[in-house]
Amino acid sequence: MELTDGDLIARVLVDDDQHAFGELVRRHQSSVRGLLRQLTRTDVALADDLAQETFLRAYKNIRSFRGEARFSTWLYRIAYNCFREDARRRKELVGIDEEQLQAQRDPQVADPGLRHDLMHALSLLPLHERSAVLLCCQNGLSHEEASRVLDIPLGTVKTNVLRGREKLKRTLVAWRD
Amino acid sequence: MERLSNMNEIQQEDWLDRQLREAAPYIDDEGFTARVLHQLPPPRQSRHSFRGAILLAITLLASVLAYLISDGGRFLVVEATRLTTLPTLWLFVLALGSGILVMAGGVIAAISKTRQLQS
Repeated sequence: MELTDGDLIARVLVDDDQHAFGELVRRHQSSVRGLLRQLTRTDVALADDLAQETFLRAYKNIRSFRGEARFSTWLYRIAYNCFREDARRRKELVGIDEEQLQAQRDPQVADPGLRHDLMHALSLLPLHERSAVLLCCQNGLSHEEASRVLDIPLGTVKTNVLRGREKLKRTLVAWRD
Repeated sequence: MERLSNMNEIQQEDWLDRQLREAAPYIDDEGFTARVLHQLPPPRQSRHSFRGAILLAITLLASVLAYLISDGGRFLVVEATRLTTLPTLWLFVLALGSGILVMAGGVIAAISKTRQLQS
């Protein structure tokens, strides 16, 4: 029988079982690294560094995990905080508006693949819309969970998802027709 | 007409969500977990065993001291002789009492461990 995340967390808490924590990392590494890759606009090396930092912080602060949310949601929150702190350091927390979105699209380098276009369009969204769309539409979090991860009001999350979706749909309209 | 437009919108959202999910394939571990585990601070286990070693050493030292102070453990021989002279009922009560004490200690330890796990 496979142990649940809760069982593994209990082992880490009581026995400081690092093998149990390793299993938690193995289970969640793909989604955490995936989210960070999208947030960092596919900077794989930076995303993996931030993912490592995320899991280290999770290990050090596992006693503060109260089990009120899913473990993955808690990890996303740490990952997002790591990303935000790093972005603040790099002064990259500047949103990109729609005009920039159009200006940055270079038809010369456009890949005909839908996935590439989608990723490109996603990377051009302002951070607040990109993160809301990634959490809710790609990682399947509810609006309430995303609101806790991003530490913003529920209404703002809904607005950001709606706006982000609209922009993506507008950019990808050719693929729908 | 409006219903048709709503249907179309829902279909578009489904399509977009599906594309977004498909655009996020599973990322192979490729040593990532090992790198994270390598960076973790040493487990508390080692601190526990160090504490255990100190307790054991103190216990041994106290036993040796008690043995030396009590004239080579003479009191043990005296007490053992006294125990053999006790009536059978008293011996039975003494054994039962000791057993209950040890069992209570075990139950308390198990309950506290369970509470720790549940919280």
